[in-house]
Amino acid sequence: MVDLEQYLPILIFLLIAGGLSAAFVFLPMGVARLTGTHNPSAEKLSEYECGFPAFEDPRSQFDVRFYLIAILFIIFDLEAAFLFPWAVSLDLTGWPGWITMMVFLFELAVGLAYAWKKGALEWE
Amino acid sequence: MDFVASLGLILPELILSLTGLVLLLVAAWAGDKASSAISVAGCVALGACFFLVARTVCAGASGPDTVAFFGQFRADAFAGFAKLMIYAASGAALVVAPAFFGRTGQMKAEYPVLILFATVGMSLMVSAGDLLTLYIGLEMNSLSAYVLAAFLRNDSRSSEAGLKYFVLGALASGILLFGMSLTYGFTGTTSFEGIRAAVGDGLNGGTLFGLVFVFAGLAFKISAVPFHMWTPDVYEGAPTPVTAFFASAPKVAAVALATRVAIEAFGSQADAWRQVVIFAALASIVVGALGAIGQSNIKRLLAYSSINNVGFILIGLACATPKGVSALLVYLAIYVAMTVGSFVAVLMMRAEDGTPIEGIADLAGLSRTRPALAWCLAMLMFSLAGIPPLFGFWGKFVVFQAAVQANLVALAAIGIAASVIGAFYYIKIVKIMFFDEPADTIRGKSDWAHWALLAISAIVVSPLGYLLTAWLGKLADGAAAALFLLA
Amino acid sequence: MIGIEHFVVVSSILFVLGVLGIFLNRKNVIVILMAIELILLSVNINFVAFSAFLGDLTGQIFAMFVLTVAAGEAAIGLAILVIYFRGRGTIAVDSVDRLKG
Repeated sequence: MVDLEQYLPILIFLLIAGGLSAAFVFLPMGVARLTGTHNPSAEKLSEYECGFPAFEDPRSQFDVRFYLIAILFIIFDLEAAFLFPWAVSLDLTGWPGWITMMVFLFELAVGLAYAWKKGALEWE
Repeated sequence: MDFVASLGLILPELILSLTGLVLLLVAAWAGDKASSAISVAGCVALGACFFLVARTVCAGASGPDTVAFFGQFRADAFAGFAKLMIYAASGAALVVAPAFFGRTGQMKAEYPVLILFATVGMSLMVSAGDLLTLYIGLEMNSLSAYVLAAFLRNDSRSSEAGLKYFVLGALASGILLFGMSLTYGFTGTTSFEGIRAAVGDGLNGGTLFGLVFVFAGLAFKISAVPFHMWTPDVYEGAPTPVTAFFASAPKVAAVALATRVAIEAFGSQADAWRQVVIFAALASIVVGALGAIGQSNIKRLLAYSSINNVGFILIGLACATPKGVSALLVYLAIYVAMTVGSFVAVLMMRAEDGTPIEGIADLAGLSRTRPALAWCLAMLMFSLAGIPPLFGFWGKFVVFQAAVQANLVALAAIGIAASVIGAFYYIKIVKIMFFDEPADTIRGKSDWAHWALLAISAIVVSPLGYLLTAWLGKLADGAAAALFLLA
Repeated sequence: MIGIEHFVVVSSILFVLGVLGIFLNRKNVIVILMAIELILLSVNINFVAFSAFLGDLTGQIFAMFVLTVAAGEAAIGLAILVIYFRGRGTIAVDSVDRLKG
């Protein structure tokens, strides 16, 4: 009698693999069939009665400059999260901790200098 | 182990990071004119680290003296061996780039900097002694790699490759992290040593799930079947020097990382992960061989070839013996030489005005129009197919030998049978080059750096490579012994 | 009483939602970025919950690192998306098909 329990790892592995591959292929198809909502045609998309044609797609027009600022903001904002645990435990980590954080801040400064020089901080 | 001694052990990584930071500033202020100088500086830094690491590899460094930062980092011979391959492959990626990007004026000064940062990440990966180091190294490599894939900003194929690589790479990181969080929760530690102690008397359900998730995430990174779907698209869309880089250095790093996790953290539970590895190995070999048939783009074909080769590499890991790991390292070294060589040959396929050509049909009759290139490519193809007297055969031979010694005879037999299928499409390319009517589209001049690299890899894969076997085997044995010393 | 298993169940549900979000969404690549973020945050819940449960700080440190790396990842994802948008003029998921496969 083969002990089936020893094949549990490969079973989990195959479930992950099969699940992901199936999700890739079938889920979009299934959802499209179930909901059937996304089925545009020229008639449906045309403006009704006295509505006049839209000038542009209302969703896609975003100034790229906002993205640039957002990108820089996420990075420099969240890297500062390291400062809080560092600050409250400085008495435990001592000089090595202090030096390490200064090195980290130096690296951030290098990044900032690069972004500045490249003109990423200028609005125009 | 005090702080200063730890800093001494991470010297190569320190050099690379500092060089990267300085070069980043140089890139910002001097602009793209300085890109060749930055490339040279990057190569010098990589070379210096190569020699630093070569010393520890030759000495077969192992044991507690190689542990830095309280077990977070291991600078042993195993990591060193992998780093040598990584530094060499990264150096090659730096050398081949200017001729490719320079033609259209797209050689940006950031390219060498990104390669350097990716290399630091890979260095950390192979030296990881803790799940945290593993994750940071992996992400450092991946984040640079996403940008590199999308490096040609005006080419929509390149940005699409970058997008695909990013989405699937981030998903892989997520799966890997989920596995790590489960492993941490059920073993109570993130260090490999602690995990080994915790799983010593059997896996519980949670740890088992964690282990499988971690392996699934790593399988994404080494593009083993069933997590390979991104590979052909990304390899086709990314700029060719970047593809050459992806196929060599990150793959070495991810395989070495998977080996370290498997042996060092979960070595006592080899039965649990072995079946996963065996499945991934066989599936990769078969899918890689079958998928390559019918491809018309040489970069896609080489992508499937790399999937196929990963399968053979994983056979070495499935052995879970020092012999197997040593075989894996030897195979990896030969694989890096073959892959870099093949992609350099692809880089040399250019039309008269210098535009890159990627169609397999364009290779027709190359033996008459460009005999030197055709002979080199033919040798690389035969070597990838594992046909004896070429050096590629030796890699497959040691891997199968290790598998037989580890009582995995069936695995070895299936592997040998599948490598015969795989040989088909390599030989098809040789047939197209030597027996078809010349298409005569490949007329562009080649850069001397490309010729030099192609010549080096052709010499390595030629029968002359067998002169290296004793030396390579000894270093790989020492590296594998360092890994198993702790396990 | 809320035990460790509740946290693990919640994080598993969020993880699966994130994975489904990547595959199910047919409209916008930005949604994929949000799904990736959801996956990473579900992992963070796991880490912090285990850390509190085990009385071991490592998990919380790990969560900090995951948080910051996730920020870097989101930034790079957005940057690649901007390049992609400039080249293609759309960020619909269905349009990511120039490379077959």
